[in-house]
Amino acid sequence: MSHAPAAIVGIGQTHHKKKRWDVSLGGLVREAARRALDDAQMDWGDIDAVVIGKAPDLFEGVMKPELYLTDALGAHGKPMFRVHTAGSVGGTTGIVASHLVETGRHRRVLAVGYQKQSEGNAQFALGSGKGASLGAGGAFAPFIRSYIQRSGAPLDVGPMVAVKDRQNALKNPYAHLRLEDISIESVKASPMMWDPLRFLESCPSSDGACAMVFTDQAGGEAAAADGRQPAWVLGSAMRSEPFGFPGRDPVLPQGARDCADDVYAQAGITRPREQIDCAELYVPFSWYEPMWLEAHHLAGPGEGWQLVESGATALDGSFPVNMSGGVLSSNPIGASGLLRFAEAALQVRGMAGEHQVDGAKVAVAQAYGASAQYFSMWVVGASLDPFG
Amino acid sequence: MALDHAPGSHVPGQHPDDIAIIGWAQTPMVRHTDKTETQLLLEVVTDALDDAGLTRADVGFTCAGSCDYVAGQAFSFVQNTDAIGAWPPKRDSHVEMDGAWALYEAYVRLLMGDEVDVALAMGSGRSSTADPALIYPMEMDPFYLAPLGADALSLAALQAQAVLAAGAVTERQLAEIAARCRRDAQSNPYAQVSGEFDVDELLAEDAVRAPLRRHDLPPITDGAAAVVIARAEKAKAVCENPVWITGIAHCAELHYPGMRDLTRSLSARKAAEAAGVADGPVDVAELQAAFTHEEPLLVEALGLAPTVTVNPSGGPLAANPIMATGLVRIAEAAAAIRDRGASRTVGHSTSGPCLQQNLVCVLEGGRA
Amino acid sequence: MTALTEERLIGIRSGDRVLCPPLEWDPETGAELAHDFVDVGPAGTVESWCWVAEPSEQHPLAHPFAFATVRLDGADTGLIHVVDAGRADAMSVGMRVAPRWRAERRGHLTDLEAFVPGEDPVSGGGAGAGEPVEMMGYNASIAYTTPVPDNVVRSEAAAAEGRFLGLQCPICGRTYTGGRGYCPVDSIALTAEHEIDLPQKGVATSFTIVTPVQYPGQTETEPFARVHVLLEGTDVVLSYQALVDTPNEDIRTGMRLAPVWASAAEMEDGAGDTREAGLIGWIPTGEPDATDPDLVNRLC
Repeated sequence: MSHAPAAIVGIGQTHHKKKRWDVSLGGLVREAARRALDDAQMDWGDIDAVVIGKAPDLFEGVMKPELYLTDALGAHGKPMFRVHTAGSVGGTTGIVASHLVETGRHRRVLAVGYQKQSEGNAQFALGSGKGASLGAGGAFAPFIRSYIQRSGAPLDVGPMVAVKDRQNALKNPYAHLRLEDISIESVKASPMMWDPLRFLESCPSSDGACAMVFTDQAGGEAAAADGRQPAWVLGSAMRSEPFGFPGRDPVLPQGARDCADDVYAQAGITRPREQIDCAELYVPFSWYEPMWLEAHHLAGPGEGWQLVESGATALDGSFPVNMSGGVLSSNPIGASGLLRFAEAALQVRGMAGEHQVDGAKVAVAQAYGASAQYFSMWVVGASLDPFG
Repeated sequence: MALDHAPGSHVPGQHPDDIAIIGWAQTPMVRHTDKTETQLLLEVVTDALDDAGLTRADVGFTCAGSCDYVAGQAFSFVQNTDAIGAWPPKRDSHVEMDGAWALYEAYVRLLMGDEVDVALAMGSGRSSTADPALIYPMEMDPFYLAPLGADALSLAALQAQAVLAAGAVTERQLAEIAARCRRDAQSNPYAQVSGEFDVDELLAEDAVRAPLRRHDLPPITDGAAAVVIARAEKAKAVCENPVWITGIAHCAELHYPGMRDLTRSLSARKAAEAAGVADGPVDVAELQAAFTHEEPLLVEALGLAPTVTVNPSGGPLAANPIMATGLVRIAEAAAAIRDRGASRTVGHSTSGPCLQQNLVCVLEGGRA
Repeated sequence: MTALTEERLIGIRSGDRVLCPPLEWDPETGAELAHDFVDVGPAGTVESWCWVAEPSEQHPLAHPFAFATVRLDGADTGLIHVVDAGRADAMSVGMRVAPRWRAERRGHLTDLEAFVPGEDPVSGGGAGAGEPVEMMGYNASIAYTTPVPDNVVRSEAAAAEGRFLGLQCPICGRTYTGGRGYCPVDSIALTAEHEIDLPQKGVATSFTIVTPVQYPGQTETEPFARVHVLLEGTDVVLSYQALVDTPNEDIRTGMRLAPVWASAAEMEDGAGDTREAGLIGWIPTGEPDATDPDLVNRLC
């Protein structure tokens, strides 16, 4: 590895809601960015470059919004970069920003992801507004059914994930859904939307934004010396694979597995389940938790659901997953991936508040997009040499 | 801004982090094609890799630039994954920007210095499927510009008027730029608009959006381009004449044109400074000057001497494949070195109303 | 925007400058701005202009007009808006213009209908909004004309005749449907010479039953099934297929299916419009289910 380290020294997010009509697009991204800058003890002028990520522009009706948002993010006279890799885009945003620091291009980079789905009709944009629209749940449900049939998982596993993530969300002041009295029974009593997925096993549609400030090694060490724990990027990876062709397995996609292999190798991880303290995975539908645990080698083949069923992935379990409440509790699509990456960083910084995992030193985060074709992942640590 | 180049510090290609363009391709640029963006990309990726003497399996990272609003479909880039050979799965990214920015991401990715030593950047767009006058207001401020239907052409014309009013250029000089570009385009096999035009006849035409006449505007173009880059060791191993990227940088400025000095381009100047344009003499500059008045404005902002040959390919006035136009400039700037003997060239790309965002790439051949 | 309903133009102070239009923050530094609004204009000076001889459907005026950058009196920046000057030769840099207001104002940039030459604003009459304007909507419509690739045309023509057309990659042998023009694995174009006819027998490998949410564009009202269908003896899986005359509770992985094609009369009625050409859906054949446990892996 010939590149230099990158540290995360600032993290901010908005309160995620169904409709954030109290702010403009610019106001929304600034709310997250301002919190990240405050956390980093910086101001707009301290930032050298901005990377912005979001899913389709058709969701808000602003094309190439990096142009309009240049002013809102204090990017006048600076490089302003825009990525779009479907649902994985938030993760990609974090990775591109970290690369700018790791390669020495810039010293301080602001990464921002957002979506304001309430300003357009996302389902309309997804379905091109015609015919018997399936929605994202309908698209993923057959994959989930295959997972259940393959693994022999009991049907309660999905509802267990739904309950756990929503209970975690109650500890996260920024989360969108706050379902105080959710239970396995109430999930199973909720309407069947995309058989085998029920309403309460599905993500909401949210307005929200997330921002992160990256610095070089000197910046990270200075923050640490000042008593502000940074998170260090120990490895990051992206993979894409084509939509459909004979031989592709969309249940445990090769791209997801390759991404995990790559990121663990970079971080020096050989026994992921033991060496990683917690995971923040992109789980828009409950069953994706056991599926990703297997695809990312955090559980053996067919064993992901057992990890869930045992309670290991609960906040107080041996391998907590989605401490923030996850995508099941807040889903501003373009920000969702960056929120996962940010939560992993918050955990190793010890700044996750009520949803903090005690003693978390190494955390993994993941995001995926399109028809389970785009993957982004990273591992962050409380130090550059957590296994040393 | 960080120092984005190492002026004169070494012969390009000697440092392992030096990165070179080793192959490129573009589709024929046409007013309309029946081919999908994926088909266009399939062709240019194959051709660019042929040019580099490589295959898709050699490519460690791919990055595409395209735009949903140009395609008229959300997630339009997803199907383009079929063109890149992403099986086994590939390290891959996409920018909702011109392919020139895809090249920037690919360049940064190669700087990571891991096992990825070849990367591919692409740009593609079919502008023929909808009316640009209706698409481009969508990229403007949703409170103060989009509701007026403020399209890119109108805002460009406001900038042209400001440049003319400042006395920096005359309408005749703008017509001369158009005539020169289309004359030069005659030797560009990919060009869409080319030929000999009489300046007096051009000036006699009615304005499309006064002060801009038909000849001041780019054609509507469908097309795609791909560029292959490699780290120094790989580039030298597979390529006899790599074209080295000695500087690449981009910069944005505030969005609302009424709050800028439209006779200048601050972001183009800062990008040029960061890329090190002034560190040596420039032979050729390929500028994404889609409107005639943008050429003198950019020549000044980039600090180019009067001796620099500008847009010998004909530039965007000869072919303007939106989302690939900037990447084509960089490919043409590379071709000027490898195929036509220039030593140091500049490729430029821009985005947004009145040149809001600019990217500058400085290229050099191997020094003796 | 609220000021617009009162026929007032306002700017916002940023340091010693007045920005008009009043942006939410300083565009050069990103700094927060105190909400220190000041009235500007009503008249101003044209700094730049261009002439729109043929307005688009999104432009605020239907007849020829000018876009202009107008520096309103008391402002330090230019407001971009339209000038209704009649003829291009009535426009010049430095000319004076004043606003002409609409009678009905709703807190939208186009409450200011246009600037007109001169110093005197033209009132639209009527009253202001009376309460703060918090939302501003606008509609834009873009029509796209996208060519249909040859392979898709041929695939749909075959479906209209009750045939499944596949495209087989000459390198890896994988088969694709729907007129896909390339093998994504070998990255080569597939054309008419790679076409093969596919069997009319399928088996369900997975499915979902969708309870339709009534967002715009949804045409279904009752729960409907979508099934992944493996064409027997091939590597082809058709995803998200409709079923015909099959109760949702009867659907299961392994069930054997046959395609139901639209008749010529149904095609005339446009039955194929919302489905893939002439294929209406699939119907169980009643043959014994396939029991291969690997079926659940066949999704692409």
